Amino acid sequence: MFALARLVVIGFIALSIIYVCLSLYSRAVRRSKLKAEWNEDSDGDRDAFIDAGLAEYDGSLRRKLILGVYVVPAVIVALIIYLTNFA
Amino acid sequence: MVYIKWFFIIVFWVFVAAFFHYTLPQKDIVRVTDTENRRIDFGENSIFWASPDAGNAGVAANRDVFFIQTVRENGSVMVYRNEDTGWGWPPYFKFDTSNLQAEAADLKSTSEAPKWALITHYGWRNEFFTIFPNAISITPMENPDVGKPIPWVNIVILIVFAAIFWAIYVRWRRFRQRRLDPTFEEWQGNIEAAGDAVAERRGRFRRWLGTWRA
Repeated sequence: MFALARLVVIGFIALSIIYVCLSLYSRAVRRSKLKAEWNEDSDGDRDAFIDAGLAEYDGSLRRKLILGVYVVPAVIVALIIYLTNFA
Repeated sequence: MVYIKWFFIIVFWVFVAAFFHYTLPQKDIVRVTDTENRRIDFGENSIFWASPDAGNAGVAANRDVFFIQTVRENGSVMVYRNEDTGWGWPPYFKFDTSNLQAEAADLKSTSEAPKWALITHYGWRNEFFTIFPNAISITPMENPDVGKPIPWVNIVILIVFAAIFWAIYVRWRRFRQRRLDPTFEEWQGNIEAAGDAVAERRGRFRRWLGTWRA
């Protein structure tokens, strides 16, 4: 059980680092896209436009899909265990 | 300098290639001649051995390891070890070592009446370190002339790895061109300007010293 605990703990830490990096990167990409959009047809307050766009992003499915960073490896591990030992 | 740079780049990629060659699964067409159980005292080669069966007591100086002795289709021999990888590296999550040994023993055959089998393994056989590839699974083969199947798993893993590497690499390069290079150039400009200012001041100091000489 110690080996399993080690895998889970180290895996969770590694995936959390990837999750945080990916979240920050994805938000930064969205922010620059919003800036580019505002520059094309500028109407109203720039900061308000970007804040509104980011608020919309925060509730979006796209952002929740980043949780796949945790889900996909767990599914792959379960699949490998099945294929190696029981298939 | 350019040779040193290429030396390091080549060494890096050789290590990456060796890592994948060791870790990814490969298939051999073999005929099992015998199976056995040997006591192994791990020494310098301990990194090339996996873990004791899952659930058993861990760190021991020696333990019994299953072996599968085979003859390959081309007539050369190959000896596989049969160990759990458990929850550790490489991530095969293999726990059915004893079952695999039973399957291999069932396929034992002689050269007069060969029974061929497809054995999946990872790792290397090296006589100088006494290391053996670790068998993952074994399936009987009706006709060895069919050949090995296309290694789809390896193809997919290598493509995914290359895609991730490339995605990070282009983003890093873009970031360097847009953010780091202008900053470094600015610093370089500042340092040059500072150098010029120092040189000018020194020149003035020299001239002032010269006034005393006259």
